[in-house]
Amino acid sequence: MRRLLLLALALPVSVAVQAAEPDGQQLFEHKCAMCHGPVGMGTGLLARRMKPEVAPLEKRDDLSAAYVERAARIGILNMPPITRADVSDAQLALIARYLSKGKP
Amino acid sequence: MRRRVNTSKAGHLDALPSPSPAALDQALKAMAAVVGGDAAFATEEDRDAYSDHFPIDAHRHRPFAAVAPTSAEQVQALVRIAVAHRVPIWTVSRGKNLGYGTAAPVVAGSIVLDLSRMQKIEVDVENATVLLEPGVGFYDLYDYLQSRKIPLWLSVPGNSWGSVIGNALDRGLGYTPYGEHTRNICGMEVVLPDGDRVRTGMGAMPNSPSWQLHKYGYGPAWDQLFVQSNFGIVTKAGMWLMPQPETVRGFDVEMDRMEDLGPLIDTIGPLRREGVLQQSPTIGNWFRAANILTTRRQWTDQPGSLSDEVISAIRKQFGLGWWGVSLRVYGRETVVQANLDILEKALRAIKPMSMKPFSWRPGDAIAPTAGGWMGVPMTFPMQSANWFGGRGGHIGFSPVLTQSGKLAQEQFNRTYARYKQFGMDYQASFAFGERHMLNVNAVLLNLDDPEFMKRVDPFLRTLIADARQHGYGEYRAHIDYMDLVADCYDYNHHALRRLNQRVKDVLDPAGILAPGKSGIWPAAYRKERKA
Repeated sequence: MRRLLLLALALPVSVAVQAAEPDGQQLFEHKCAMCHGPVGMGTGLLARRMKPEVAPLEKRDDLSAAYVERAARIGILNMPPITRADVSDAQLALIARYLSKGKP
Repeated sequence: MRRRVNTSKAGHLDALPSPSPAALDQALKAMAAVVGGDAAFATEEDRDAYSDHFPIDAHRHRPFAAVAPTSAEQVQALVRIAVAHRVPIWTVSRGKNLGYGTAAPVVAGSIVLDLSRMQKIEVDVENATVLLEPGVGFYDLYDYLQSRKIPLWLSVPGNSWGSVIGNALDRGLGYTPYGEHTRNICGMEVVLPDGDRVRTGMGAMPNSPSWQLHKYGYGPAWDQLFVQSNFGIVTKAGMWLMPQPETVRGFDVEMDRMEDLGPLIDTIGPLRREGVLQQSPTIGNWFRAANILTTRRQWTDQPGSLSDEVISAIRKQFGLGWWGVSLRVYGRETVVQANLDILEKALRAIKPMSMKPFSWRPGDAIAPTAGGWMGVPMTFPMQSANWFGGRGGHIGFSPVLTQSGKLAQEQFNRTYARYKQFGMDYQASFAFGERHMLNVNAVLLNLDDPEFMKRVDPFLRTLIADARQHGYGEYRAHIDYMDLVADCYDYNHHALRRLNQRVKDVLDPAGILAPGKSGIWPAAYRKERKA
């Protein structure tokens, strides 16, 4: 818990996406980081189920692209499903590729 | 329309007309032609995604489909299609209204108009205003201002995932001097339920430079007509932003005893009304840290409301009183210091358990846990959805009170007894307006426990009935309780409802726009519901 709060103190809020065609990392920051960045709800709750240092999705090395896409669309536990209006299929594919670091 | 019998447990949507599947299919096809095939969503997964995520029964509000327009012109075209096919549509700005229905419509089988792809931001730095489309979230606007080093602040709600406009249109709350979000609205663009488009206030003059500066224009002012209503679809709205202050200072105050609520309110109220305090202070109970940072099992395995022993343990761990409040003063150094002195003296007189000073100046880091008072968006408070360890959420119960400490203490006593009776863990706040106070209860849900969930609906109905007896009605309601809350506003044999219905029938004769929103039903549905 203390770790979570300390992490929280150091956090930059996501940076606005300004590029015309944002890449996977930019899309992650714009669409996901409010919950899956350092002090977000998603990171806080994942830290209850795994080592806190890998609770932010960007620190994980066990995510496959297919898993990320399914998780986002159907939601997991306290995570609501992400609608296709909010994050399009094409955008989600880029985010999934970024988070999976190339794993399909 | 054909008649469908709704067999819901809650039972207040007894018999509603629902559109024929053929009409829905045809309407959706026509809508897809307007927005493009990649902006019309009607798979089973899409329907789930647009259902309520903090529900008592999600199935009751499952939509038929969703479409995502990108312009006001597209919204107009979609509305005309809905009228032509007589299908109900339900508008969401970003669809993140967690605790009040998320993106889900009152009437199952509606088509959701999801405006989240309308994301234009036009900031007027000099005048401290912004003209926004509904898809702009608090994070989007915050990032926009920060990345351009624009010294203007937002006011954000406790969960800032949603839309700036959507939140203001549901009268959401924040914690700064701009915390009553609906008051920040200045000028709207609205698509009416017949497809016409209107601009309110000074916006009715096409070349007006003061659309976002003067709220009323000339003649009747219409902005609040489109707030918490189903009279139009807001496609743009002006919002006032807060110029970054020279300093923010204040105190985090903890009060030891349950019965300290009244004196605390009676201390803050006069300072708020006088203007020494300009923010919207929110008094919260001992539960506010534990339900975010821990789960229930870490404290107890006993069912029912948390015991006094557990409450003591929680308070001890987090260093909290029974009640706490963060008071903040914003503005120029000299003025802030003068007001702070007055505030400190008043607070010391009621002997707080603790009083921690707070100070911020431009350049200082803002701790995320302090962001709410500084307009920094946050989502971590929603970790309370995991309080029971699995799937959870909350439903609001938020009666409007006066700023009387005595009456608030009495309301608390009645409400707390009901929490114990129904075995719920007490989470509530008392949020100051300028004259009123909102008693915002977030009733935590355990979606994995059917026995628990069976108690939630009777609990909420009991709270609403208790409040009504004392003249307290809610300021905002979950889609399951809109009728019940509207029922409380019954002066002169429901004159307000009759007025709302007359306006609804004139503006929306086809009855397509968000039927049932805020308890306002179009004529066709009223006939069916009586039958």
